Amino acid sequence: MSELIQLGASRPKAPKPEDLKLQFSDTAVAELEALLTHYPDSKSGILPGLWIAQREYGGYLSPEAIAETAFRLGRSYAEVEGVATFYSMYNTAHKVGKHMIEVCTCLTCQVCGAYPVAEYLKKKLGVDFGGTTEDGMFTLHEVECLNACDRAPLIQVGDQYYGPVNEKSLDELLEKLAKQDESTVIQMADSIVQVHLASFEKPGGQPATKPKPAAPAPPAAPTSTRIRVEETS
Amino acid sequence: MAELKLLFEHAGNPAYQTIEGYIAKGGYQALDKALKMERQAIIDQIKASGLRGRGGAGFPTWIKWNGLPKEKTKRHHIVCNADEGEPGTFKDKQLMEETPFLLVEGMTLAGIACQGDAGYIYIRGEFIDAAKAMRKAIDEAYAAGFLGKNIRGSGIDFDLYIHLGAGSYECGEESALMSSIMGERGMPRLKFPHAPLPTIAGLWDEPTLINNVETFCCAPFIVNKGGEWYATMGASTKNSRGTKLFSVSGHVGKPGNYEIEFGTTLMELLEMSGGMTGGKLKACVPGGSSVPIMTAEMCDGAIIGYEEMMQAGSMVGSGGCMFLNDKTCIVQFIWRTAMFYAVESCGKCTPCREGTKWMLQILERIVKGNGQPGDKELLLDITSQIDGRSFCGLGDAAAWPVAGAIKVFPEEFDYYIANGKSIVGSPLPMVPA
Ligand SMILES: Cc1cc2nc3c(=O)[nH]c(=O)nc-3n(C[C@H](O)[C@H](O)[C@H](O)COP(=O)(O)O)c2cc1C
Ligand code: SF4
Ligand code: FES
Repeated sequence: MSELIQLGASRPKAPKPEDLKLQFSDTAVAELEALLTHYPDSKSGILPGLWIAQREYGGYLSPEAIAETAFRLGRSYAEVEGVATFYSMYNTAHKVGKHMIEVCTCLTCQVCGAYPVAEYLKKKLGVDFGGTTEDGMFTLHEVECLNACDRAPLIQVGDQYYGPVNEKSLDELLEKLAKQDESTVIQMADSIVQVHLASFEKPGGQPATKPKPAAPAPPAAPTSTRIRVEETS
Repeated sequence: MAELKLLFEHAGNPAYQTIEGYIAKGGYQALDKALKMERQAIIDQIKASGLRGRGGAGFPTWIKWNGLPKEKTKRHHIVCNADEGEPGTFKDKQLMEETPFLLVEGMTLAGIACQGDAGYIYIRGEFIDAAKAMRKAIDEAYAAGFLGKNIRGSGIDFDLYIHLGAGSYECGEESALMSSIMGERGMPRLKFPHAPLPTIAGLWDEPTLINNVETFCCAPFIVNKGGEWYATMGASTKNSRGTKLFSVSGHVGKPGNYEIEFGTTLMELLEMSGGMTGGKLKACVPGGSSVPIMTAEMCDGAIIGYEEMMQAGSMVGSGGCMFLNDKTCIVQFIWRTAMFYAVESCGKCTPCREGTKWMLQILERIVKGNGQPGDKELLLDITSQIDGRSFCGLGDAAAWPVAGAIKVFPEEFDYYIANGKSIVGSPLPMVPA
């Protein structure tokens, strides 16, 4: 019943530092730089940095994605992995489908028919909670209250809430998503990165209307075999 | 009493979500006023208003505002708790989406009163629409000189940043929230009196004010019209002033957010939200999943106010009010409540980490028809060992609903355990097939 509680899942291994290939785009590097001006230290950049990584690495925080985030922030792999695995919206356990269907079964949704909705989706997609369809299109997840209970039963796909849903509206939604080119998982990570940045901070955006303090210099390509660990103060 | 729209007066009006529209409706008058006031005078207005924190605990807001050092030696931070994760609550979402400038102005006022250098709005990762609305409002406020360097030519600087969470209820707990901004796992920190208050050592060990979205949104009205004016609302209650947003959901005709004056009754709130659907009122969880469940008899005559709701056997909490009809199985409802806390427990302390899972296991076997004699007593025993023994409020919040439901609906548990099935045959399955 409580599929949400996963115990003892083993973690994939960190890549060897010499194997680290930096993949962030120039835009991503500029975004991270702008983000770091919001905080007094690079540690605070871990959460937003992971959102950038989740977008850059196609919706999945692979060990390589975590390693690159750690490297660019000057933090240790273990520290960044520890943070990433705490939060449910970072996809660290396994690759996810192009679209993630997150079904709220929490209290109001429960009493408004979320479990029948979940059963319908499981049958239709042929997967259980946590599973991904064979074609890699959909991953089905059970989530806790999405805090739009006035629209129960509610589901979230990417950055959109849909509710109240019924079998017909779900059929239509799945059909629409199957045809869509863009992955809603990646789209969502991008939306989250964008809301962190003021219009005058966006790379290639409007000219600054606010003088910004000098951003910390981006790290050069890895030279040493050890990922740098910055002093936490 | 009917609805009383103060924060929500212009909610739903798209013009109010632009800076011109906001100013046209009286927005930023409070800021201009505050820039001419002594800092202490602003805090005194908050004190006179009787405003209490809307995040769940109802702590007097002015004490926090007054708690930051007056002699500034470090940077001061203003943090907004927009992590809204309490099941049943969705008011902060609507405030951010439809009245974003109230929050921007409210936080700026706090920045002025408490000598803040920067503000952080911590929005849960799922709330992208709310975050986009806040982004737009903040950008417009910067462009118009209401944020950033030298606000309105006053010489005061105040920056406002958005920081999104990534899926964790525990990050709504204020010290866990600060951990999360600082780039850590969302786990709480040691609290007063064992550690300094956040107002002395919060974010990056510097003085930090942390309030809920709704709390900040009240500030512009208080500064603009005066604390005494604000305190006239809710004057019929013992110690609750102003208006309160309630998120009403469940088996009601018109689920949604309703703004009411303290002193309104719970039944009036039910009537506003369209009354019961699908059956008679059986139970109500008035303030989010963490507060004790009430029977229909307890709801009758209950007055909405912090002390009044305690007297009625529950709490105002975050204002997430779920009404349940008589086809609802309370045991299954409490099983799902227990599952929420078991999933969201951060794992830092033993009573909560182990206790929430244990309660879930027992409730799960009851719900599956395998309950054993003594399970009810065992559950009560576990709740008493979690409550008051946990590191943060999540443990207590996990224990109360279970203990509360067993207390007021004991026969439902007895029947389920003895017969292996629910006393009510709900037409809509409330458990997985
Ligand atoms: C487990 C837990 C979750 C919480 N979640 C929230 C939340 O989502 N939003 C909120 O404003 N307060 C939440 N709180 C309360 C905060 O810790 C804190 O009391 C509040 O942000 C203070 O603001 P206020 O004084 O304006 O109410 C939570 C508390 C606990 C123990
Ligand atoms: S009570 Fe303990 S385990 Fe539960 S959330 Fe708080 S610190 Fe974490
Ligand atoms: S219970 Fe599903 S959105 Fe709140």
